[in-house]
Amino acid sequence: MVRQRPVLSGGLRAVLDRHAQASQFEHEAWAEAMLRLANVNAGPGALLAAFRVCALIPARPGALARSAAALAAATDVCRAAGAHAVRAVLDARADLAQRFTALPDGDEAAWWRGMVRIAREAPTCIDAAAGTSGRIVATCGTGNFEAFVAAGLRAVADPARRLAFFALEDPEARRVLDRLSGQITFSTMQRRLSAYAAALWGQAPPMREAAVVGEGSPERRTTISSGIVRVPDVFRTVPPGRVPALYRATVAHATAHLALGEPRFDPAKLKPVQIVLVGLIEDARIEALAMRRFPGLFHLWAPFHTAEPSTLKTVPILLERLARALFDPAYEDHDGLVSKGRTLFRAEADLSDPGLSRRIGSLLGNDIGQMRIQFNAKLHVVDPVYRDDNLGLWTLPPPPPDAAVEQLDLAVESARIERETTPDGETPDRNDPEPELDDSLGLARAVKPDDRGVVVAHYSEWDAGAGLERPDWTTIREVEPTPASTHALDAALARDPGLRMRVERLVRAARVGRPTRLRRQPDGLDLDLDAAIDAAKALRTGEIPDERIHERKVMRTRDLAVLVLIDVSESTRDLVPAAGVSIIDIEKCAVAVLAEAMDALGDMCALRAFSSDGREDVRVTRVKDFDQRFDQVARARLSGLQPQLSTRIGAALRHAGAELDPRAATRRIVIALTDGAPSDIDVPNPTDLVDDARRAVLSLRSRGIDVFGITLDPSDQGSGADVFGRTNHMPVRRIEDLPSRLSELYFRVARR
Amino acid sequence: MLLRCDRNTDAIQPYLVGLWTIGSSTKNERTRQANGTMDAYLVKTEPYYRPTANEIALFEAAYRDRLPVMLKGPTGCGKTRFIEHMAWKLRRPLVTVAAHEDMTAADLAGRFLLAPEGTVWHDGPLTLAVRRGAICYLDEIVEARQDTTVVIHPLTDARRVLPLDKRNELVEAHPDFQLTISYNPGYQSAVKDLKESTKQRFVAIEFHYPEPEIEAEIVAREARADSRLASLLVDIGARSRNLRGHGLDEGASTRMLIHTARLVGNGIPLEAAVQSGIVLPITDDRDVREALTSAIAACLG
Repeated sequence: MVRQRPVLSGGLRAVLDRHAQASQFEHEAWAEAMLRLANVNAGPGALLAAFRVCALIPARPGALARSAAALAAATDVCRAAGAHAVRAVLDARADLAQRFTALPDGDEAAWWRGMVRIAREAPTCIDAAAGTSGRIVATCGTGNFEAFVAAGLRAVADPARRLAFFALEDPEARRVLDRLSGQITFSTMQRRLSAYAAALWGQAPPMREAAVVGEGSPERRTTISSGIVRVPDVFRTVPPGRVPALYRATVAHATAHLALGEPRFDPAKLKPVQIVLVGLIEDARIEALAMRRFPGLFHLWAPFHTAEPSTLKTVPILLERLARALFDPAYEDHDGLVSKGRTLFRAEADLSDPGLSRRIGSLLGNDIGQMRIQFNAKLHVVDPVYRDDNLGLWTLPPPPPDAAVEQLDLAVESARIERETTPDGETPDRNDPEPELDDSLGLARAVKPDDRGVVVAHYSEWDAGAGLERPDWTTIREVEPTPASTHALDAALARDPGLRMRVERLVRAARVGRPTRLRRQPDGLDLDLDAAIDAAKALRTGEIPDERIHERKVMRTRDLAVLVLIDVSESTRDLVPAAGVSIIDIEKCAVAVLAEAMDALGDMCALRAFSSDGREDVRVTRVKDFDQRFDQVARARLSGLQPQLSTRIGAALRHAGAELDPRAATRRIVIALTDGAPSDIDVPNPTDLVDDARRAVLSLRSRGIDVFGITLDPSDQGSGADVFGRTNHMPVRRIEDLPSRLSELYFRVARR
Repeated sequence: MLLRCDRNTDAIQPYLVGLWTIGSSTKNERTRQANGTMDAYLVKTEPYYRPTANEIALFEAAYRDRLPVMLKGPTGCGKTRFIEHMAWKLRRPLVTVAAHEDMTAADLAGRFLLAPEGTVWHDGPLTLAVRRGAICYLDEIVEARQDTTVVIHPLTDARRVLPLDKRNELVEAHPDFQLTISYNPGYQSAVKDLKESTKQRFVAIEFHYPEPEIEAEIVAREARADSRLASLLVDIGARSRNLRGHGLDEGASTRMLIHTARLVGNGIPLEAAVQSGIVLPITDDRDVREALTSAIAACLG
């Protein structure tokens, strides 16, 4: 090949010189990889670049093998994205080699994997990625390149945005980079911060990450809106060492507003500068009150007040100085406005009166107005950096004064942007495992999917009228879950921390395994006193004593498989008057708590939702499978369950049994969560379905599968006890108790 | 081990006896039980107890009719101190049993022990209190196995008897005998909960951490600390109690605050004492620890 293209020989010579000590075997492998690259028509330019890359790899044992691996990856890139792309990538690699002297093997492989993945899944982006890979690697390390690529491909589907992402022009890309670089961001601190807020004030407001702003727009501050604190993900202007303190300062300030502040001000008749000043005075008032309660907060906030007296008189500088003067009694500033503000503030007898902020703020605002200095409300950013933008102080949206329109518009607009970006951009993973029912069951007949879902099985049903079992009477269809935002679920769980705590404790108790004493054992560490005494008695009376006088302690281990059936029939749409939410929401909450617990314990657990529309259409949704974790995907699926249709519980139970049958576990359990009133459109008499469900329960029990029923049955009219049997039936009268009852039941049954 | 009738008898006996700590002295023990007094169980000096509500009056009223009492409350809020105080006040001996996971009914009621001359019955602490008219205090009763707690049932209703089935004896309770249990509702769960039938036998007195001023008074008194330090520690304690449900199962108890104040009293700087006395023992979770430390820093000023 080289003979045909003399231009390549120089490159080849350089590589061979560099790796002269490598073994014959390595040389051959490398040459083969090189040839393969040439054979996919990479073109001379790319081949030269490849030679250059190989020559740049430091000569060490195994270096040539590494080069060969890199060439193989380059070949893949070429196949997927063409000669031009592979050249760009090889150039980028050479560039990388010059920047970073030695890359560890694993990192190099990760980098190549990332490139191959882009080439395969987003070939148009490969040029951009090759161009920015140096920057990406510089920020978060070579090893994280693959993670960056994965995040980009997952987060953004739109081709134009993908291109922007890999060119690092998309704000999302910066956020991913920040996260990968191990920088301390709000998300890494969040748990600590909400615990901090809770410790201070007794309760933690919900905190979220504020939406990312694009480059060029003014910096974002924390925002408080409707009780939710939105904190910027990263503060770029602050040195990394001070970031944790800054987050604490931010949270302490924002929660002080919520804990000590008053209901909102009305911005009517206020000029923009007055609005800003009222906010500033209110900040000072809140902080003074907070420091009266927690004197240590002074040391937390003080380092961020950096304004110094100067002759510059722009509004932002004056405001910052005023903020410091009001905050720090030791700060000296003789500017007229600043000292006037301070005097007015100090003259207030009662700091707990929120009206003072408005009074002083409007006065000072007039003063600034008379000083005739420019103030641009649109570009104004609150300083010091830990303070929030004070938009939460104002009632929005009243008919605002003309001058403030833009600013308030900005606020409304930004709130809208946030609303769009806050729901998790979780993309559900599409590679659902195949249905577990196999042909050996003799029941599964996979049929082409139609709009009602994939037919996975047929089951018989008991016909009470005819007194016979009708074979293949019901059809189970598996319906794709529709993932939805988990926010409502998370919020519902967060509302009752005590519940989680109780369940966590159950988990802990169950995980340890209960020590059990085995008495009258032939051997063991301890003597069984009762047995020993019996033995001694027997000896004395001349009888032959029982020699099993020892006692052993064993830890019971858990080995169980649980399938939770969730009733999502139309009746679960009903509102629970006491809780103000629908039954299905409480069901979801209960199931989430239980699934979390089981996940923590490592118990095999699957979640299925069921509903039905006649015997031909019993729908089952896989929320979670036995070997899946209860992760964000499963949560999203759980959140997406919608009430629909009717309850044909017998068929669902039989299906649950068929799924549990092949599971190897000492205990196999079905927990059915239903309203206890089976019904379906094609069955005129619901008691027929009750009879059928009871038969289904009995048939499962005969196969060693325990069925427990929890019925949401406030009026005690359901047939839960008839279906599940009295001992295995647990009616829940107060539906809002369901979450704790469900977990309790689980732990009770799983202990036996 | 294979035992044969005659040959091994001598070999096994010392072995069996050696396993019981008091095995060899059972005869003396029995004499002591028969003739001895309950002096050892009397509370001699007044234990400091600062009432926070009507708990003393309640307990006295319950004791007048020997009603069983349940003290509910988080750990370290003064339940044990209260019962000691009441025993002192009522001049009754106090038998305390700390329940544990492996406690059997025999640990409460008593058992046969082996002595060289044969088996000897040894009263358990509960039987002792029943016979001699003491207050029996079962600490953290939920920790005990559920079957164990059933032995107290006949004692806590109108029967007031303790059946010792192994001895075939029915012990009538002494007129002064009274049963008190403590119960930490923090453990309330399906796994660790009292049976309904047990719960319903008791008069309950609920304990909380005292109001800040009273708690500061207690800390100051118990640790001989000045009142400023005491109120500061109580404020710090309140921060940690706020974290209940946010990563902590329980906040710092009054006992913990007292220990911290004692550390300070012995010359440890306040920050270090708070760290060792409160933050480090209470949690191993780094996030919670850091949040708590920051919140405490806000209190220190």
